[in-house]
Amino acid sequence: MTKPENHYDDVRAIVKKTFQPVAGGEPPRDLWPAILRKLDAHALRRRVPWYDWALLGALVGTLAIFPDLILVVMYHL
Amino acid sequence: MELLERFAQGDIDAFEALFQQFQRDVYGWILRIVRDPAAAEDLTVETFWRIYKARARFDPQASFGAWARRIATNLAIDHLRYRRPEQELPAQLGAPDGPNPALQREARDQIQRAFRRLPAKLQAAATLAFIEEKSYDEIADALGVSVGAVRLRMFRAVRILRKEFNRMGLKP
Repeated sequence: MTKPENHYDDVRAIVKKTFQPVAGGEPPRDLWPAILRKLDAHALRRRVPWYDWALLGALVGTLAIFPDLILVVMYHL
Repeated sequence: MELLERFAQGDIDAFEALFQQFQRDVYGWILRIVRDPAAAEDLTVETFWRIYKARARFDPQASFGAWARRIATNLAIDHLRYRRPEQELPAQLGAPDGPNPALQREARDQIQRAFRRLPAKLQAAATLAFIEEKSYDEIADALGVSVGAVRLRMFRAVRILRKEFNRMGLKP
């Protein structure tokens, strides 16, 4: 097992006087729900295909350029 | 079917079983590097999220623990890279005060800042070797580099720290 060289002892002594090793390391709460939230958010994002976003973008762009069309779109909704 | 094989195929129950088995190890390892419990929690979640996303690339014959630790180490180093050195450390991870608390605290703050100004990769290696007393082999495995590379990082970290400590008038 390779350990730090002895000629680093001076620096190591100062560092060790300043920081304590971490004891235990048990997470304070169950982190699984946070993972599940990430999984759900990812699944939700993936459920909408890219071309739906592209169509929506095109529609918004068109309405921004020709605002009169908003009434026509609303009529057809 | 083996747990690791089921995980690699995207089985969420297998992933949860692995999470429950390794979360303590991953969290503890990250905490040792970043020394901030709140950041360690976030990084643990991010580590397992990345593990899940990369499941198809995982070889079920390999060690899950070593793979998880390597991903965790890379994330922890990224965190060190973007954290400001001036940011306070949680009190419980500093050393206790001595006979002259005010003076000691000031010196300790200076040393902490000098340590945290180290480049992230050097800081991680120095933290694990000096404070956590991990072997070079273990550090090399977690960093995904050779023992020689760890030795070089330690050499550079010590050179920078020695210079800083001398500038502060600290005689080892």
